[in-house]
Amino acid sequence: MTDSLPPPGISLSPAQRQIIEAPLNSKLFVLGPAGTGKTSAGVERMRHLLAQGVPGESILMLAAQRSVQEPYLDLLYSPERAAGGEVTSATLGGGLARRVCDLFWPVAGEAAGFAHPDQPPVFLSLETSQYYMAHIVRPLLDEGYFESVTMDRNRLYSQILDNLNKAAIVGFHYTEIASRLDAAYFGDPAQRRVYADAQDCAVRFREYCLQNNLIDFSLQLEIFTNILWPLDTVRGYLTRTYRHLIYDNVEEDSPRAHDIIRAWLPEFESALLIYDESGGYRHFLGSDPLTGQALNELCEEQIVLSDSFVMSETIASLASSLEQIILPYPSVPEPEAAGAEGVGIIAARFYPELLDAVVAQTKSLVEESGVLPADIVIISPFLSDALRFSVMNRLEAAGIPTRSHRPSRTLRDEPASQALLTLAALAHPEWNIHPPRFDVAYALMQSVAGLDLVRAQLLAEIVYRPRELRLSTFDEIDPGVQERITFVIGNRYAMLRDWLLAYREGEDLPFDHFLRKLFGEVLSQPGFGFHTDFDAVRVASSLVESVRHFRQSLEATVLFQTTDSRFPHLGKEYTQMLQDGVIAASYVEGWRSQNKDAVLVAPAHTFLMMNRPVTAQFWLDVGSSGWHQRLAQPLTHPYVLTREWEPGRIWTDADEVETSRQALRRVISGLLHRCRERVYLCMAELGESGFEQRGDLLRAFQRVLQTSGDTGG
Amino acid sequence: MLNFIPRPSQEQILRYRGGRLGIAAVPGAGKTQILSALAAQIIASGSLGDDQEVLIVTLVNSAVDNFEARVKRFFDNPLQALYKYRVRTLHGLAHDIVREKPGHVGLDERFAIIDEREADFIRREAVKAWLSVHAESLDDYLDPNMDEHKRDWVRRDQLPEMISNLALAFIRSSKDRRLTPAKLRLLLDRQPAPLPLAELGLEIYADYQRALAYRAAVDFDDLIRLALDILEMDEEYLERVRYRFPFILEDEAQDSSRLQQDILGLLSGARPERILSVGEVADEGGNWVRVGDPNQAIFETFTTASPELLRAFIAQNPSVDMPESGRSQQSVIDLANYLIDWVMNEHPIEEARSALAPPYIEPVPPDDPQPNPPNDRAAIHFISKRLTAEEETKAVVDSLSKWLPKNQDATVAVLVPRNTRGVEVINALKAKNIEYVEFLSSTSNTRAAAGALSNLIAYLADPQSAPKLAKAYQVWRRDWKDVKERQTLIHDTSAWLRKVRNVEDYVNPNLAFARGETLTPAPSRSTPEGLPRGEGDSIAEAVVAEGEEEQVAAELNDFRVHVRRWLESVMLPIDQLVLTLAQDIFTDAADLALAHKLALVLHKAADDHKEWRLPELTAELAVIAKNERRFIGFSADDSGFDPDQHKGKVVVTTMHKAKGLEWDRVYLMSVNNYDFPSNQPNDRFISEKWFLRNSLNLEAEALAQLNAATSSSEYDWYDEGAATLAARLDYVKERLRLFFVGITRAKKELIVTWNTGRQGDATPGLALSALMGWWEE
Repeated sequence: MTDSLPPPGISLSPAQRQIIEAPLNSKLFVLGPAGTGKTSAGVERMRHLLAQGVPGESILMLAAQRSVQEPYLDLLYSPERAAGGEVTSATLGGGLARRVCDLFWPVAGEAAGFAHPDQPPVFLSLETSQYYMAHIVRPLLDEGYFESVTMDRNRLYSQILDNLNKAAIVGFHYTEIASRLDAAYFGDPAQRRVYADAQDCAVRFREYCLQNNLIDFSLQLEIFTNILWPLDTVRGYLTRTYRHLIYDNVEEDSPRAHDIIRAWLPEFESALLIYDESGGYRHFLGSDPLTGQALNELCEEQIVLSDSFVMSETIASLASSLEQIILPYPSVPEPEAAGAEGVGIIAARFYPELLDAVVAQTKSLVEESGVLPADIVIISPFLSDALRFSVMNRLEAAGIPTRSHRPSRTLRDEPASQALLTLAALAHPEWNIHPPRFDVAYALMQSVAGLDLVRAQLLAEIVYRPRELRLSTFDEIDPGVQERITFVIGNRYAMLRDWLLAYREGEDLPFDHFLRKLFGEVLSQPGFGFHTDFDAVRVASSLVESVRHFRQSLEATVLFQTTDSRFPHLGKEYTQMLQDGVIAASYVEGWRSQNKDAVLVAPAHTFLMMNRPVTAQFWLDVGSSGWHQRLAQPLTHPYVLTREWEPGRIWTDADEVETSRQALRRVISGLLHRCRERVYLCMAELGESGFEQRGDLLRAFQRVLQTSGDTGG
Repeated sequence: MLNFIPRPSQEQILRYRGGRLGIAAVPGAGKTQILSALAAQIIASGSLGDDQEVLIVTLVNSAVDNFEARVKRFFDNPLQALYKYRVRTLHGLAHDIVREKPGHVGLDERFAIIDEREADFIRREAVKAWLSVHAESLDDYLDPNMDEHKRDWVRRDQLPEMISNLALAFIRSSKDRRLTPAKLRLLLDRQPAPLPLAELGLEIYADYQRALAYRAAVDFDDLIRLALDILEMDEEYLERVRYRFPFILEDEAQDSSRLQQDILGLLSGARPERILSVGEVADEGGNWVRVGDPNQAIFETFTTASPELLRAFIAQNPSVDMPESGRSQQSVIDLANYLIDWVMNEHPIEEARSALAPPYIEPVPPDDPQPNPPNDRAAIHFISKRLTAEEETKAVVDSLSKWLPKNQDATVAVLVPRNTRGVEVINALKAKNIEYVEFLSSTSNTRAAAGALSNLIAYLADPQSAPKLAKAYQVWRRDWKDVKERQTLIHDTSAWLRKVRNVEDYVNPNLAFARGETLTPAPSRSTPEGLPRGEGDSIAEAVVAEGEEEQVAAELNDFRVHVRRWLESVMLPIDQLVLTLAQDIFTDAADLALAHKLALVLHKAADDHKEWRLPELTAELAVIAKNERRFIGFSADDSGFDPDQHKGKVVVTTMHKAKGLEWDRVYLMSVNNYDFPSNQPNDRFISEKWFLRNSLNLEAEALAQLNAATSSSEYDWYDEGAATLAARLDYVKERLRLFFVGITRAKKELIVTWNTGRQGDATPGLALSALMGWWEE
């Protein structure tokens, strides 16, 4: 067992100690704003439980999002921890619900109305759900569904899925989606039809899932909460297995999750619920701080942590002035003239200039003031690919390690996966995908070691005929040109070509097996591009993983519908879905393992959900309205589809203003509570796209700076 | 207030405290200046609350920057005006509104705005699709005397262009009437008799909108329409925006369309139906100052804007004239004023007499800081001689070649009615080695930056091409363009690169060595590592000047490092590729900002056209470089055009593009009855196609059918041919104003010429004849 002492360097307040060392049969509700040591106490509590001999497998660690679990996982995976039962660390609607569905499938399958409860279910990921939704909705679009909305198709699919998910996490029946949305809508009547269309698509999707043993997120949660949880066997199993609960960021979880915990809480021996009163950032994903806070009633003791371990005095005073300006709370006294000392301003006319200045300032923080890169974040309400690329590129050039919330390219955009997919098309003439010569040249450049683009183009132009997908041999080329391309390259090309042609002759393999074989037998061999390029290897293995998952979920349906001609070649289908962006969210696995001592470049929300303090924050796009304005989603509504929304009430501009102020206040408070010393406001006169920006945050700051300027004389 | 001594009429305007005010200004009256002063005065008065701003609305992006700077200049401390005013184009304003409430009008958060060029592409596709199904359904409109062969040719070669223009006008007008395809369908279904052109228009319109929806995009006209929808739909929101903008100052108001006017009317607190009902005084409503010059309402492409709207506003509300202008010498002013008089009183076509109206131009008071140039009657020249187009060009160019050497510090422009004529003039100037500035499609940073990137990517799309490699090198060294000492080096290095036989041996010499036995003797000392061998050597040495070899070799080695990096980055997503290249070739902040914008634009283009690869994306950049695209945000006219930057050179542009500009000496060309018809028996009209029967203007006829479909009055019933005649009249009037604009571009000297046209039978424009006659008296 581990030592019960926290690692050196961590000093705990008496309140924290009280939490950590609470008796093994106590139920605590801890609340306080960010930066007051709640999660630290939670992690230490877990260490304490384990040190006290509580078996790991009897501890359930819940959080609304995986990123919040990281500090706990760091403890669980730390090398000094002796082997023992594993603590379950999960989200309630995700990991836990799925595990239970899987375990009790025979019961669930029948009760939920699946057509084949005797067969195992297939759990859909976000991408595969999107894929099936696309199949269902696409033909309807041609019939005139959704005619009055202007939106990207993939976003359309995902908003329908979102509606289903909202129904599940809020706890209303999925056939009520349209009526709820419609009741809150005013304006152009033509617009109302889209709600009916969205409802129809949601119903069709659900029916399709039931027919084909597919379980998407919404179904998984509904089965768990509505069917399995009420069963004594299931409940008994869960309450027997888990005796101790640690539930962090309660405010970010959904009402349905809170319902379950409310019912379950009396059964635990001990429980620690951690609640951030300024949180609720995942509102658009259905987080509900109110139902979370109500769990308070079921805990014996409430502990308030209020002293920030993080904010300097100046940041704390900045936070309170800004909060008051953005959305005054009557009970709060007028703040002292604001502290603008914690604020640095970086201004430029044009965006790239601004980024240069940001990077220069970052460099000086790291090199002159000794701030660790990990203690710096560069955030923005939205982060376009181009922006992220620009910032990270500049940081790298300045020798500063950098990381982001996701890799800068989707799987589809990775050169290595493009090369693999091009070669796959060449190996499968029956797919009828004819890559243009450019793609083939790029694929050759990636695949053959030492081949530059000029020669790759030359080679592709001569050997490749797109229409017939023909690859001629190197020997057929004019000797002069052979010489230009060089024989070393020629030999490698010949090997690759032979392999592809041999594959065409042989038996068709499952697509992921094909990729693995291509990689193993050719591309990873000496003389080929993936032999020494480890990045490419990572991409390749991610691609294989993604394909495998796709195949498994697809095969399950084809199993029941062998005659379904809508599903042609799996590999072709995958390739096209990837191109169309239906499977857009795939990224290279394992990028998270990158260096953590690096400057983080991320959207503001992502940083908030990582829930860790830093020394300096750079806020890009201070003038953007993205800090407070909610995303416009024509088919769904994050506030109307909640438990608090009074049925039949109309969503007005006043609601919009109010919620956007609340959102801004929450975000700003959350950011500043995670900031130790300094905030840099980064303003370009013309934003990324060349617009002038002047959102509410900028105005609020202007007023803070004005008052502080006035008092300063 | 600082640095501003108002003229008498300006003083009057500065007494404005609230309510509606219409201002008719003459050319050069200083509209920007007075609106800026007025904005500054409102801000300084302290009447604006927190979160309140003076809204200044203008036409083009360049004016936005201009206003931004000028308002600030009225304050000792520019912070006093910070966030107290907002300058927007009307499209920018509409965009702000739609951005704030996209869900109200069925738009997703990430809706895109399609620029004119992409809209044009989509429309053409829709026209193509329509024609492929209805190839012969327009036959009824073709001239029955044409033989079948000619008909075929017309169908294939003439119809697509004509219908595309028709569709543009039809779609724009439908949107201006706020008709969706579905609503229009209902209206057409109710018609007692068929309206074939409206059906045609609707089909293309519907197809066009579907294509936009598929791209999750709207066009510029949609922005206006949807913004108005939102404001009308959501009263609470409207109130909020009204509070935000307690004062609205509108510039170039003569170019506003009815919808644009409705938006501002609504924002300033009037119910839309209250604006412009004839004979009524709109005394209610808030603070809205409209400045414009209805005499300068000129349009290059189809528009729903009309100067009558501003005229009516001025007539129905308190108004002030701004007649003083320090721009032109008295004789030019006299001419312009006489043109107004002649049009109002003597134009043979009664209905055309409203084309121009007072105020007349007055010179500024003698103590004005911007006094008029001294009067000089001899500086006005009308060339009455009959000249062919070639002769006219030659006469102008000859005149310029004599005048220019003595007037290197003066500005001069040649103004033509159409682009094609401008190109002819430019060719003639080129032949005579006269320095010129082409401002036909505008020049700007966008153009230069996009051009540079396009050249670079063009090489990456065709990496074996030595000429493209050489071009890429020049782009890389574009900062040295004006450095004299570097010219030889750049020249020699480019020449060497252009002649490389096998580019791969330059780019990747290591692989060349790998060939082993095929190696030719070692390169000479002066050749850079990995120079192509064999024949390449002698060529290479021949193009490099003596004593330069080492520098060129070093230069080639430097460049190679970059080329290799670029070649490796071709597989990046296009936005990342553009940003990577931009970091290597641009240093100027504005260029880098544009590159960033281009990266976003190309990213979207690549998303919309998944089959596109580098060649297509290069072509797209080339189009941007040619400035056929207009962005919201950075735009073609971003930097504006400043004639003073081109002293001693000849600026060639159209009379339309010359609006807002002035030169010491101005040539007005082609003022004949073809480009300036007056509805006389011999006049021909560009929009009446020879291959159509009865000289129909099909675009006008289609709009008339649209009008018939939307009107409930039986008097609006469609009557074929009436619209064609009405369109003639509109054109005649627009041309009169165009002539007025042309004349008022001149500060000191004005030369007006005409030609006999393509068929040799054109005569001087009627207005020109009248002016000539008067001048000689």
